[in-house]
Amino acid sequence: MKSVDRGILSSYDYRKKTNKLGFLVVIAVIVAMVGSMLYPVLTALFNGLKANTEVNSFPPRFLPSEWHFDNYEAGWNFMNLPVFLKNTLMIFGGNMIMTVVVLGLAAFSLSKLNVPYQRAIYFFFMITLFIPPSTYIIPNFLNLKDLGLLNTYAAFWLPASASAFYLLLLKNFIDGIHHEMFEAARIDGASDWKCFSLIAVPLSIPIFSTLAIFVFSTAWNDWFWPSLVMHSDSKYPLATAVYKYVISAQRLNLNIRFAILTMVMLPPILVFLTFQKFIMRGLQLGGVKG
Amino acid sequence: MNQPAAVSKPLDTQVQRKAGRWKKHVSGYLFLLPAAIIFILFLWVPITKGIIYSFYTIDFVKGNEFVGLDNYKTIFNDPDVWIGVKNTLYYMFLCLIIGFWVPILFAIAISELRRFQGFVRVAAYLPNVIPAVVLYGLWRWFYDPVGPINGVLTQAGSDQIAFLTNKSWSMISLVIMETWQQFGSGMLIYLAAVLSIPRDWYEAAEIDGAGIFRRIWHITLPSIRGLVLLLFLLQLIATTQGFQSQLALLDGGPNKATLTYSLLIVKYAFTRLDYGVASALGVLMFLVLGGLALLQFKLNNKGAAKS
Repeated sequence: MKSVDRGILSSYDYRKKTNKLGFLVVIAVIVAMVGSMLYPVLTALFNGLKANTEVNSFPPRFLPSEWHFDNYEAGWNFMNLPVFLKNTLMIFGGNMIMTVVVLGLAAFSLSKLNVPYQRAIYFFFMITLFIPPSTYIIPNFLNLKDLGLLNTYAAFWLPASASAFYLLLLKNFIDGIHHEMFEAARIDGASDWKCFSLIAVPLSIPIFSTLAIFVFSTAWNDWFWPSLVMHSDSKYPLATAVYKYVISAQRLNLNIRFAILTMVMLPPILVFLTFQKFIMRGLQLGGVKG
Repeated sequence: MNQPAAVSKPLDTQVQRKAGRWKKHVSGYLFLLPAAIIFILFLWVPITKGIIYSFYTIDFVKGNEFVGLDNYKTIFNDPDVWIGVKNTLYYMFLCLIIGFWVPILFAIAISELRRFQGFVRVAAYLPNVIPAVVLYGLWRWFYDPVGPINGVLTQAGSDQIAFLTNKSWSMISLVIMETWQQFGSGMLIYLAAVLSIPRDWYEAAEIDGAGIFRRIWHITLPSIRGLVLLLFLLQLIATTQGFQSQLALLDGGPNKATLTYSLLIVKYAFTRLDYGVASALGVLMFLVLGGLALLQFKLNNKGAAKS
């Protein structure tokens, strides 16, 4: 098809001089945008490698004049990063298991098992999408307190699967798996549990990996809620710890601060660059939620 | 001899089938049970408790005490609440005029790129994956009096701007920071829509003599109108609740210039320890936002019916 070759502009448009110039301007703007996206990331990286006096010099320079790799060592020793990292990963792991098991089962049941009153049950789950979280943030905290879950990982793990949005994504995906698959299994004598664990779960790995990225980024990014729920240093996830000890810190050299920020920023960037495709697809799915 | 057996056989299977169906439903409901319990325990219970608590004074030591509408009276007599509402509206307004059109524009521009489109997409989305705390650390330095932005300004010969400590700049600075971080995800959503517009339409319009801007105005924009409206609503819903960057970077200051309504809820609860009033503030917010959420639901359904 020849018509696919064009965009809004056709090859005829490119031949006009004014259009060419306009297009160049647009490209320049895009390049500027890309630059402004990459600049802060690189600044953090390079500032983490400068001597402290150089970071504080004015006007700032982009590249370091001397490379101080020992800043990263100092940053690593400044606070107990491995413990916080472990906490973040604990939260992520538990949240993911809960999401797969609890929401996976519910989505499978809603999608394939045709229980009576299914629509009403689905509605019961979905209506929570329309209640903005910050309206019940305080009672939510008090509720966790009443349940005695404060300062425990269960305070993250249990509510992790109370997400109508993830349920929606899962159900939509499982809806797309053919019924015949499960019918064949049933004829062979498989129970519902076996249908779920041996057929539905393996076939849903794409959607689970998309969810894993969502869950990971929440666990990695969320600093505010953990700072309320957890009370002790040894239980803070990474983001909260960085907020408490790096962002709010008064006496911390800027270069060390940037070194720590770079270390916190790199894992999600690497995850993103590795799983780009999943993330971009997840974004299309999640587009409805924003 | 054979006949009764032949009659009873289908009956048997019928009974069996009934039992089987019952069994099937048992496991179906069992599968739903954990999710239902968790939704009730961690969503419905807090939501109901919020409404109940809004009529109580919460005291962890002495126990809760019913105070009727006192919490609501406190709210209506508190000048901070009006400041919060005003700041939230201002924040929403700024997010619209600074942030809303950016992803649409870039989506259309990037859709025209023939080469490096993938790279540009990845670069545009990159800030989204930077953790919020890192973002705060970075931008606090950018906005610093001795940071790079003021460095450029000084070299250009103009006055420095106190981005964070100047009352009239602080909210704008926050919105610019958030736009920088978040525009990529919106852009990618728009981009997918722009790229799915049939190219033939442009061809036809061009043959009819439509210029580039008329093609964009009459074909591209109408094609993504539904999406624009949806993201507009989502942005409204999201921005009414914004408080984290205001809290982390400025703690509502300077002089309450970035004290949004949601931040006030948090402050009532965790600095004034007045959970009752905080719950009441939440209930009021819910009443206002409920309308918006319903609108989004309707739009969503329309979109689902279309696609």
